[in-house]
Amino acid sequence: MVVGDIATGTEVLVIGAGPGGYVAAIRAAQKGLDTTLVEKDAYGGACLNRGCIPSKALITGSGLAHEAGNAEFMGVHADPAVDMGQMIEWKDGVVDQLTGGVEKLCKANGVNLVEGTASFVDDRTVRVAHGGAGQGSESIEFEHAIVSTGSQPIQIPGFEFAADHIWSSADALDAETVPDRLGIVGGGYIGMELATTYAKLGAEVTVVEMLDDILDPYEDDVKRIVRKRAEELGVEFHFGEGASGWSEGADGGYLLQTETEEGEESTYGVDKILVAVGRQPVTDGLDVENAGIETDDRGFIETDDRTRTAVEHIHAVGDVAGDPMLAHAASKEGIVAAEVIAGEPAALDQQAIPAAVFTDPEIGTVGMTESEADDAGFDPVVGQMPFNASGRAMTTGHTDGFVRLVADEETGFVLGGQIVGPEASELIAEVTLAIEMGATIEDVAATVHTHPTLAEAVMEAAENAQGQAIHTLNR
Amino acid sequence: MPVKEFTLPDVGEGVAEGELVTWLVAPGDRVEEDQPVAEVETDKALVEVPSRYDGVVEELFAEEGEIVPVGDVIISFRVDEDGEDADSGTSEEPAESGESGEADADSDGDTAAEPDGEPADEPDGDVPSGRTFAPPSVRRLARELGIDIAALDGSGPGGRISEADVRAHAEDDASEPRPAPADIGSGDRKSAVSKRDASGDDADSSAAATMPDAAEPAAAVEPAGRETTLATPATRKLARDLNVDIDDVPTDETRDGEAFVADEAVQAYADALEGSVDAESAPADTVAVSDSGASESVDETVPYRGVRRTIGKQMERSKYTAPHVSHHDTAEVDALVEARERLKPKAEAAGVKLTYMPFVMKAIVAGLKEYPYLNSELREDEEEIVLKGEYNLGIAVATDAGLLVPVVENVDEKGLFELAAEVRDLASRARDRKLKPAEMKGSTFSITNFGAIGGEYATPIINYPETAILGLGAIEERPVVRDGEVVAAPTLPLSLSIDHRVIDGAVAAEFANTVMEHLEHPLLLLTQ
Repeated sequence: MVVGDIATGTEVLVIGAGPGGYVAAIRAAQKGLDTTLVEKDAYGGACLNRGCIPSKALITGSGLAHEAGNAEFMGVHADPAVDMGQMIEWKDGVVDQLTGGVEKLCKANGVNLVEGTASFVDDRTVRVAHGGAGQGSESIEFEHAIVSTGSQPIQIPGFEFAADHIWSSADALDAETVPDRLGIVGGGYIGMELATTYAKLGAEVTVVEMLDDILDPYEDDVKRIVRKRAEELGVEFHFGEGASGWSEGADGGYLLQTETEEGEESTYGVDKILVAVGRQPVTDGLDVENAGIETDDRGFIETDDRTRTAVEHIHAVGDVAGDPMLAHAASKEGIVAAEVIAGEPAALDQQAIPAAVFTDPEIGTVGMTESEADDAGFDPVVGQMPFNASGRAMTTGHTDGFVRLVADEETGFVLGGQIVGPEASELIAEVTLAIEMGATIEDVAATVHTHPTLAEAVMEAAENAQGQAIHTLNR
Repeated sequence: MPVKEFTLPDVGEGVAEGELVTWLVAPGDRVEEDQPVAEVETDKALVEVPSRYDGVVEELFAEEGEIVPVGDVIISFRVDEDGEDADSGTSEEPAESGESGEADADSDGDTAAEPDGEPADEPDGDVPSGRTFAPPSVRRLARELGIDIAALDGSGPGGRISEADVRAHAEDDASEPRPAPADIGSGDRKSAVSKRDASGDDADSSAAATMPDAAEPAAAVEPAGRETTLATPATRKLARDLNVDIDDVPTDETRDGEAFVADEAVQAYADALEGSVDAESAPADTVAVSDSGASESVDETVPYRGVRRTIGKQMERSKYTAPHVSHHDTAEVDALVEARERLKPKAEAAGVKLTYMPFVMKAIVAGLKEYPYLNSELREDEEEIVLKGEYNLGIAVATDAGLLVPVVENVDEKGLFELAAEVRDLASRARDRKLKPAEMKGSTFSITNFGAIGGEYATPIINYPETAILGLGAIEERPVVRDGEVVAAPTLPLSLSIDHRVIDGAVAAEFANTVMEHLEHPLLLLTQ
């Protein structure tokens, strides 16, 4: 035991206060369990501090500026000036409010908060080193632990993050000025959200992507709409090229070098390079092996449907427990972990986890695509409603995209939905509820939807699947 | 050889328990599939419970006379295995039997997970890969009840699983080994008379559930009957408080060569006595534990269960639901007596003992045809009265267990001899309690022949949800007035009870008149 080491005990120890951890801690405390939450950095985790929330703030801000400046067709003439410093300040205010709220909620629910970095001593003890030299440490004995240490951006060799020129996504959300030219390595959802944002803020954006299209897991017609719109915003795409290096350019900027599989090299002049090639779990220094837990070859901790690791009284939730690395999945897992520890029959039995991409237009998906349904052995029937047939979409000036529903022909059960278009991230919630409730396509079609709304498109798509849509031709 | 446990199957709708009347097998007996192993009395029927396995009886878990909740294990079998060397229980596995060893492990696993050996968690193939069509709340309920929701067929649109589906499955699981129904000895598993509210049974079934445990201490309950016993004053006081004679408390301990009894032994003995008293529901002969100064009650407690309680519930429901009115009249049945006398030899030749009952049944059908409201059912919730198209008469039969009401169907389509034979068969099987539940269902009007025992008039309770019942007094010579003279003549006193919600007194009287007319002039029965 090191000097200054204080031993305490807790029923439930939660490591990491992101959307998995703080939710787990609050639910555990609600269940009457003595709960301790250890956080080394900032309450709310990557989501609140460096991810979902700050990016949405900037996406909204940049979108508003861009929209105001591009509404002549409506008769709106404006040339908005963006004060980037002020936008970042506003964004930080939102973040502070939310993270402060998380801290308050934890306290109000009786969660003991401990600041520091936890590492496992054995399967019943962690040591928490308090920040900074001489701050001491403490040992905490626990009956149950929930590991929710999250994830961090992947670095690629030669592109070590350095805020002045090699950006991680976190840096891109904290930049006080908009670079004239932004090179983005990676055309996944993070790269695409930021490409859209910076393009709207006036940057010349170049995206290099090793694969031959953006947004890898999505269907072609979904990708196409987003890519086309990005191109309209001036984003330049180079597919089949991997970032191989960079050098300082003569103009004070940098040269981003890429290479194709065949060895063809290209160079793009940029002022900043954003590397967004994915996220990896955070387990460094956690010493999970001391607790008898192994990580897989990608560093994730394997869990079962009750969020238990190989060591039954230790759970893992959120990004550190593997895909899907989404905040709402983490929160669900956190709730299940806490309830399982409380002895309740909770389980990760959700039928689908929705996902949203906040590009322009947005993407919202849940459940199975047509081909996935086919592979799974269903006989899928598909209904679609393009937003250019939606009255409400027209009145927003955003008619790109569609709602698509996938259902099982025999039973009518809704299996999945893909929405690309305005407010797709919101619209997908209805499809998610339909899937979880075991609703049929008829149930969705027969539910009266408010007019005039974008949500009507979901109803229309359901009617289309039945071959009886009113506002589109049924095929 | 795997040991299979067998639970008391559900033998009728709403039946929560049954009395294990007789074991037909003993441990060590060989049984074949479908061979009856026990007789169980439930609400209204005595049924034989067949084995579902070929094998040897391992253990019986219930005693004769015990009330067993549906779903409790009553017997275990050591089950034969197909094609395998059943006796290879040695730890040394022959090297080449690796595969069959695995098969063993598998089948053991099945046994542990699924007592009835049904691969219940195999999805039906209806729902491909991993999707469950049930709301989250229902999925959670399924986990709570330990049910694999993937194995359920939903009743909702497209097969969506509802909370009710899960609960129904949970009850099934608890009560019957699939696929059992056909084994029970009757095609129809519906309870004969009424659905019974299971909630009222909890106390009983939990008491019954503890009985196998109580059986063991009961064996050790033998009073030690010593002359003297050493014990501390505190222990003696405890014994007094528990109404236990300290000289009767069994003990292994001694002090100075004398038996010594400690607090624990007194408590254990008292508990054991209590257990055996609890366990004693029917036979009263072993209750004699309370000699040592316990309260001497002269009352006898008889369980209100099974047939008795079913009758009680049914009567309560009828009497408190339907406002009863009873109408009395007397038929002068000289001609009927004569007709029966003349038909008797014919009937005997046909192997039938002809009673008055078939005549009465025919006369009733004549009345029912004219006054269909007496052959009806009131469905209050639907706000409708259903006039029944069939004439199915329930015949109340007194049995040792209580009142049973077997049903003679389609009386209008049957001849007198046929009816006589059927009534006789049903009544005799009712007394032996060999009726199938289905044979006590579907009556549209009932007859109670209390006159067979004696008496003239009664106020019968309607066999709800029917709307009328006819009680028959004894056919005897009684004084009647004919042409101003009091003469002796055979008469049949009739007691008709009606549900006044559906039938008014005038209609009841007119019905009675029609029935009497047909009884007094049996030739009219030819028109039926």
